[in-house]
Amino acid sequence: MSIGALDAASAYGRVQGLGSALGSSSAPKVGGSDTGGGFGSMVESLVTGTAQQMRTAEHASAMQVAGKGDLIDVVTAIGAAETALDTMVAVRDRVVGAYTDIMRMQI
Amino acid sequence: MDLKASLGVSASGLRAQSLRMRVIAENLANQDSVAQSPGGNPYRRRVASFSAEVDRATGATGVKVNSIQNDKSDFTRVYQPGHPAADAQGYVLKPNVNSLVETADMKAAQRSYEANLNAIEAAKSLTMRTIDLLK
Repeated sequence: MSIGALDAASAYGRVQGLGSALGSSSAPKVGGSDTGGGFGSMVESLVTGTAQQMRTAEHASAMQVAGKGDLIDVVTAIGAAETALDTMVAVRDRVVGAYTDIMRMQI
Repeated sequence: MDLKASLGVSASGLRAQSLRMRVIAENLANQDSVAQSPGGNPYRRRVASFSAEVDRATGATGVKVNSIQNDKSDFTRVYQPGHPAADAQGYVLKPNVNSLVETADMKAAQRSYEANLNAIEAAKSLTMRTIDLLK
């Protein structure tokens, strides 16, 4: 797995649609999703999946507040979103930790 | 992951038991509901029946409420000549709801709901502890 300097940041940016400045000028191809299996694409897919789960949970909560939803749906959707977010954060922290370890290595 | 599938199965259990609880509440609420017209039939007790259902996405077998059926047992006849729903002989048909049976059924539904809640809690804590291995 290749780890670029701004991979995580640019993946977050791309997912949010805010990454044009970061993605195009400073780091256009940094471990981009086109390499397949790069850290950036992994973070991107994790964030996309989590965002999707979050959206589902939010929708279920909104339906519940409006009085049209099912409480069990809300609980399961929020549980799935929580699990996805925790997984993403744990994997990201782990890989970024490995990366900083490499950066601190004596040459 | 199987833990996620087991969450779905437990959620189906919660849904089924809450529907069963609703049917029991209907029975308890209507235990004195008599006929609208003289000689007519009163409220008939209803029972939720469950069946296993395979979720195609996960392959796990959940539960669903198959149907809500009528209890076919006889109504009780009470002699109340002055009652608006009394028939020509002065008898009123009362619903075949026995509040003791309903209370026992309610306890069973409650326990089953709690068991499913505990299963969800266990699956969730196992998932979280697995994620914690990374940290």
